[in-house]
Amino acid sequence: MRLTPRRLAARVSACGVICGLAALTLAPTEAAVRPPKLQYETFVLDNGLRVILSEDHSTPIVHVSVWYHVGSKNERPGRTGFAHLFEHMMFKGSHNVEPETHTSIIAGVGGRSNAYTTEDETVFWQTLPAQYLPLALWLEADRMATLRIDEAAFVREREVVKEERRLRVENPPYGRLTEILYDHAFTTHPYRHPTIGSMADLEAASIADVRDFYETFYVPENATVTIVGDFDLEQARALATRYFGRVPKAERPVPRDLPEEPAHEAERRAVVEEPWPLPAIVVAYHVTYDGHPDAYPLHIAAKIMFDGDSARIPRELVYERRLALTAVGSGNITEHPNLFYSIAIVQPGQRPEAVERAMIAEFEKMAAEPVLESELERAKNQFARDYIISRESNQDKALHLAHAAVIHNDITTADGEFDIFTNVSTADVQRVARTYFTPENRVVLHVLPRGPGR
Amino acid sequence: MSTRGVAAVLVALLLAPAAGAQAPAPWPSEPPPAPLPARQVNFPPYELRTLANGMRVVSVAHHEQPAVTLRLLVGAGAAEDPAGKTGVADLVAQLLDQGTTSRSASEIADLIDTIGGALGTGSGTDLTSVFAVVMKDSFDVGMDLVSDVVRHPAFSPEEIERQREQAASQLQVNYEDPGYVASVLFDRLVYGVHPYGRARTLQTLGRITRDDLRAFHARHFAPNNVILAIVGDIAAEEAFAAAERVFGSWPRGDVAAWEEEAPPAATRRLVVVDKPDAVQTEIRVGQIAIPRRHDEFLAFDLAVKILGGEGANRLHRVLRSERGLTYGAEADTRALKYAGDFVAQTNTRTETTVETLRLTLQEFGRIQQQPVFRGELGDAKAYLAGSFPLTIETPNDIATTVINAVHYDLPIDEIGTYRERVGAIMPADIQRVARRFIHPERLSIVLVGNASAFTADLREAGFTDFDVIPIAQLDLSSATLRGGVGTP
Repeated sequence: MRLTPRRLAARVSACGVICGLAALTLAPTEAAVRPPKLQYETFVLDNGLRVILSEDHSTPIVHVSVWYHVGSKNERPGRTGFAHLFEHMMFKGSHNVEPETHTSIIAGVGGRSNAYTTEDETVFWQTLPAQYLPLALWLEADRMATLRIDEAAFVREREVVKEERRLRVENPPYGRLTEILYDHAFTTHPYRHPTIGSMADLEAASIADVRDFYETFYVPENATVTIVGDFDLEQARALATRYFGRVPKAERPVPRDLPEEPAHEAERRAVVEEPWPLPAIVVAYHVTYDGHPDAYPLHIAAKIMFDGDSARIPRELVYERRLALTAVGSGNITEHPNLFYSIAIVQPGQRPEAVERAMIAEFEKMAAEPVLESELERAKNQFARDYIISRESNQDKALHLAHAAVIHNDITTADGEFDIFTNVSTADVQRVARTYFTPENRVVLHVLPRGPGR
Repeated sequence: MSTRGVAAVLVALLLAPAAGAQAPAPWPSEPPPAPLPARQVNFPPYELRTLANGMRVVSVAHHEQPAVTLRLLVGAGAAEDPAGKTGVADLVAQLLDQGTTSRSASEIADLIDTIGGALGTGSGTDLTSVFAVVMKDSFDVGMDLVSDVVRHPAFSPEEIERQREQAASQLQVNYEDPGYVASVLFDRLVYGVHPYGRARTLQTLGRITRDDLRAFHARHFAPNNVILAIVGDIAAEEAFAAAERVFGSWPRGDVAAWEEEAPPAATRRLVVVDKPDAVQTEIRVGQIAIPRRHDEFLAFDLAVKILGGEGANRLHRVLRSERGLTYGAEADTRALKYAGDFVAQTNTRTETTVETLRLTLQEFGRIQQQPVFRGELGDAKAYLAGSFPLTIETPNDIATTVINAVHYDLPIDEIGTYRERVGAIMPADIQRVARRFIHPERLSIVLVGNASAFTADLREAGFTDFDVIPIAQLDLSSATLRGGVGTP
């Protein structure tokens, strides 16, 4: 699936550093060009389910997504990985739908479908020829209301998820890098745990957990249905109301009490060994949450640090000093306070300590001196570019609308953020750098190759 | 109302939840809803012109977002690498934006980043690509820059060494990645010494000189070997005028393609690469098949999709849905310009390696020996034909479809008849192409994983003839696939 810039970190963790680098460099100009505003309508059904509709008649297709406001941060201790495991269970059939047929029913009419889980949300989506809009809504409502929960299917699917963990995290070089980072960076907040979870916790999950999770989080008031594409507004409104309106209202509110990460009072450092060919260095800082006023200058800071060959970190570490094979980074700004981090893979013959020093020097420089006006303009132009090219497909548009509605609880930010970014100043960037890029807030990780005889 | 009826009502009232809440209506049992009236699907307008110097230019005007994408393909890639110097095409691609005769690497990076654009270069088996995105008001800057990097790369010695160092480190990482190793070794087994099977190594990379790069560029980079797509918020006439302005003076070249040589016939070979710390085994199974431009391509592609593609996918059902052996299993045709192959790929925990391999091979046999079910074919066809509007959603999707047709020398009007051609394929066609192109007894098989944990199972399952190569000794440029220790 395609990812917005703020999701790059998730992408790095999903497919390894090298693949993350490709995503960054392939990411597809002047801020003077104001992209068109997204047009949409939104309403809430009696059972609490939110619907967002946005028409686009350029191609006869329609995209339907269902966001459940639950992710790996909502997992209870000892059940890491469960939100994602449950996402898989949503393909195990419901009252009117046979197990494992959701995907093939959609494919059988020429559609595509899938799902994904992040720290903050679980998203089910399908894009299909426009005339099959009723089918997509019917399928999603059926599994929201009447999921089949079968022990044998659960046990089998758990094996599939364990294979997914082996494939994405355990087997490829650097696959566990962000997992190691987050484990050292957080003490309390559940962001400490990777979305994929641990093998032991996956093994410990039970069918009772499945029932409980479904009844707690997969309820209409925790769901947002977004429909973007070629449809008639009145008809889509009626169809959404018809199929989702009959899903019963939840009996209890969705729990939202999560432990907060305490402020960190000293730098945290770790040196670990892994069987990877070249050393990896990570320098990370605890930062604020998505939607906080500081988040916008932090995104600009991330562009100045990481985006493009002319950005500070790649130019200094990769091009000028040839310390690193790759040096990437991201402001991973999410619903709760998260990390702003830079990762470098050390060139053979270079010292990890030199890479660490060079990276920290760039963060300190940003706090000590204002960035250049030309750098700020460049970052804003890049931001405008991302904004424009990440709103090309119906799926892209749905992602922005749903993200604004679910994570910001304010759908107007899907467009309103453009103007906030345009107004960020060099003083704003320096202020947030001083606030967050401090030694106490810092986490430094060295991952060194494990010697031979492994 | 009868007494019995009254009692029933009373019981219902007693059992109803308190506080006047209404019991929810039972969930209806019903078939899926009927579709709405189908809408007309037309391939969106585009225009294809050839400049006087032979360069082909595609314009797809699309005005929703104020951006323009430039996609340029040169019809030469790794297959044109000189013998023993695999990696030339890739290094040429990496160096295109690292300095031209009038701009340094840093100046190029500053320029593209300052206008909020993006510029990328890359190479494939038989093409080299340049990709740029610019905002509408930087269109001319973008065209100038793309033309400059394609026509006038400097190949400065300093930048060559920088990129060579990057490529070498990247190789070192890749050769520890089981998925990467499985895929390049598979190519090597299927194509042998055919240009499509050559792999980059530290040795071949080390032999490349600046003259090799310049020679490759001089030989293949000419307008009559280039396709450019200009896509987005720009009118066709403006797009063609800009192409003429920056590429019109580029003289036509003599770009004879390499002498086509036939890839080797399929032969059974099983190679195990031993990576003792692997927790999963990467599996590749497949063989040589047909190039993209082939009368049977569409039917064959559909047969492979039934085996392991979207819309049907027997491998996914057997390995994942029914047994939980893997996260993913798929089969793909990889049909290139001069040859093609097909490959099934999956991965499974070490203990289930042989079971997964056995089941995969069983599906190869089944698709070749038994007719496909009509319903299964219907699903695969419905997916291919029905998903056509999904493949033309964005202007870049449209451009890619047109560029591909041009690159593979396909009749351009085939784009418009795609759904009809898919619709005409029958079960007998699938069986004919499966019998003709799939040979289960002559498959190339690669397993990359913790060999000592499954080689006994392999023998027990009847696989007696296989090589086991420690990953540190794998050498794809050697006939025995083995080199000295630590030589990727």
